[in-house]
Amino acid sequence: MSLASKLEVMVVDDTSVSRMLITESLNEIGINNLALAKDGKQALAALMVKPVHLVISDQNMPGLDGLGLLKALREYKPTARIGFILVTGSPDKSLIERGRTLGLNNFIAKPFNTRAVRAAIEAVVGKLG
Amino acid sequence: MTPIEHPARRINLVQGEFRVSDDPQVVFTTILGSCVGACIRDPVRGVGGMNHFLLPGAEAGADARDSERLGVHLMELLVNGLMRQGAHRDRLEAKIFGGARMMRGLSDIGKKNTEFAIQFLKYEGIRVVGGDSGGEQGRRLQFWPVSGRARQSYISSGVESANRASAIQAQRAPVERVAAGEIDLF
Repeated sequence: MSLASKLEVMVVDDTSVSRMLITESLNEIGINNLALAKDGKQALAALMVKPVHLVISDQNMPGLDGLGLLKALREYKPTARIGFILVTGSPDKSLIERGRTLGLNNFIAKPFNTRAVRAAIEAVVGKLG
Repeated sequence: MTPIEHPARRINLVQGEFRVSDDPQVVFTTILGSCVGACIRDPVRGVGGMNHFLLPGAEAGADARDSERLGVHLMELLVNGLMRQGAHRDRLEAKIFGGARMMRGLSDIGKKNTEFAIQFLKYEGIRVVGGDSGGEQGRRLQFWPVSGRARQSYISSGVESANRASAIQAQRAPVERVAAGEIDLF
């Protein structure tokens, strides 16, 4: 059984088309155990009840943004070790640096393709098989 | 009584750009051929923005999904820019302009761009309240981001005489050659 088929991933993005594009890429890679959330708050509430292995989250969201979600997850013991990949249209150095200090595992720059998504995930969890 | 006209601060956009403003004196301008300009606004917050995009894959039959992803990215940049200035997603309304068929005989790039924009807005639940797209003429577009007023004039290089060079030149040199009168599209 490949790692991809076992991996549980949550996709967080306030733009539904973007959620769909990430989901498509994940399905192509063979990751089908997916949870979806439309903002940081909704994601946090769901993850506190049922953690996943990896969160792939947009940065720009109303309310709780990507790094805000990351910070909240790292501060709560049951979710502190969840892998976290940030998706951003403006991956400037200061944002990524701020992410790293909060425990960000990797990032994906928009616009992305499936290969970039796969590479970013494998850098965090290892070969997907 | 004639309303007092404030001097406008004109900001021109070229392909790939987007701008957002809540300054009532600002007017965004651009020249559209087969490109599309999306004008999106939150009427309650009084902030609006415009982008100017062309999906690359629509042209050469390249990877359609890469093209779609770039388009989504460009639309998202505009929506995120509006939200950073206090706009609410559920109040957003849009006007779509451009998407002309500039070259006969090739695939209708303009139409694909327009369809993409409309589809994106539909998925995101953003109401389309106006605009003008298609046809065979380029457009000179002005958009007042606070009031939401939009004005366009056609550029008189139609499909018969249009070739890539003239289309590109029209993008670079916004020389107004109004075929018909300017149309206000509120």
